[in-house]
Amino acid sequence: MVGLSAGEKQFMHGGIAQDLRSDGRQRLQFRPISIQTGVIPQANGSARVTLGTTVVIASIKAELGKPAPLRPDKGKVVIFIDCSPTAGPMFEGRGGEELSSELSVGLQRCLLGGKSGAGAGIDLSSLVLAEGKICWDLYIDGLVISSDGNLLDALAAAIKVALSNTGIPKVSVIVEASAEDQLEVNVSDEEFLQFDTSGVPVIVTLTKVGRHYIADATSEEESQMSSAVSVSVNRHGRVCGLTKRGGAGLDPSVMLDMISVAKHASENLIAVLDSEIAAAEAAEDDGS
Amino acid sequence: MEYVSSLTGFRFDGRRPNEMRQIRGEIGVLAKADGSALFEMGNTKVIAAVFGPREVQNKSQQIDNQALVRCEYSMANFSTGDRARKPKGDRNIISYSADHGSKYINTFDASFSGKNLKQIDIFLQVLQADGGTRSACINAATLALADAGIPMRDIVTSCSAGYLCSTPLLDLNYVEDSAGGPDVTVGLLVKMDKMTLLQMDAKLPAEIFTDVMQLAIEGCKAIASYIREVLLENTKTLECMRGS
Repeated sequence: MVGLSAGEKQFMHGGIAQDLRSDGRQRLQFRPISIQTGVIPQANGSARVTLGTTVVIASIKAELGKPAPLRPDKGKVVIFIDCSPTAGPMFEGRGGEELSSELSVGLQRCLLGGKSGAGAGIDLSSLVLAEGKICWDLYIDGLVISSDGNLLDALAAAIKVALSNTGIPKVSVIVEASAEDQLEVNVSDEEFLQFDTSGVPVIVTLTKVGRHYIADATSEEESQMSSAVSVSVNRHGRVCGLTKRGGAGLDPSVMLDMISVAKHASENLIAVLDSEIAAAEAAEDDGS
Repeated sequence: MEYVSSLTGFRFDGRRPNEMRQIRGEIGVLAKADGSALFEMGNTKVIAAVFGPREVQNKSQQIDNQALVRCEYSMANFSTGDRARKPKGDRNIISYSADHGSKYINTFDASFSGKNLKQIDIFLQVLQADGGTRSACINAATLALADAGIPMRDIVTSCSAGYLCSTPLLDLNYVEDSAGGPDVTVGLLVKMDKMTLLQMDAKLPAEIFTDVMQLAIEGCKAIASYIREVLLENTKTLECMRGS
């Protein structure tokens, strides 16, 4: 928990009102982002995103599974977030569970689309190998290593980068007429398919502190928030999901304003991520 | 299975029987913790964070004249080859971490004299598990405690050794670890040359056990000299930043 004195609170509010925050940023400016890909060699894809002093790792693992009977033409994607106690003593034991599930639900809402799987950032149909029989189950694991606010944006960015880093083995299904349910598959360990990540959105959270809203709040700033709106926007500028947190009510016009500001901020974020991904991939190629 | 090639005497991963995996330590990887470190032994990768010394949270746990050292050990879902389906709260993990905590109380007999600040929390997060996670955790915790500036009598390092194909092997990886042979994990107070941890989980003739244990002790000493280097390097950087 962050404890601020009355003076510190006033300083922060005053700074935000004058568009100059405690760390020298403007209201809608992000902290510097750095990205590393391939940090977990055992996974199909992984990335570490450092946003100021917030550090998160996302890993993607693909396993062969069976599609759900109701949706035989769709693969499955599971998002699971964990807050490590290394981020702070408050996550010790079961302390991080509430925040973890809140983050998981928020990310699922933004990345996975509706219940039918329509409108998902990840094309679920591309995960199916044989309709109704075999598909890839995609396990997305996020781990919060160090927490200094704006976890949702950092995790969404990490997942986006990890997905672009993911290589899924090429699978050829050997048609077996005799067995009814059992299909034999041949998993290639040489050929990998890259994901189409162009539809994966980023999340921009705008936090309302006092009369103004700010992007990429630190934990000190988050402790003073009245409400926060997380908007997920994809490359085409379409809003994919929306989460509002915090108890205070927002005027509908302010909400619409926030959405359009978030949309604008997401363009910058996506551009930064794209260039960081290219740089990280180049660095990884050099290393290997 | 042949864990040591009879032809060349090399192990699966190309190491000699008494060769350690590549180790790497990094101090101060987390900004929010009082002390933190990353430790890698081959593919095993652990992050340790230390919070404290701070006030004892649960007064009933307070012990006079002694620090309260608590420890939590957690493994990331993606740390093992097969993804663990069970989220946090696995009984195994909880008992393992309690077990770990009690070891640290013995291992780090922190004899500092902070008046009311007596609780030290050590949180260990395994990012990748490839055998020897216990050893890597202890080494990472040592670095993190040093980074937190907690006075210690000595540094504790740990290394494991096993016995496969009638050869003592240093620093087992996951494949060798799961071969079912004995796995001797040693924790050593290096300067004082005293053991704080000794564990073995299979049977082994006494005279061979001495050899295997001796090998593990040698491993601990090698790690200790590396850890000293890392600490020295870190201190130099700090000194440089202060600008004396």
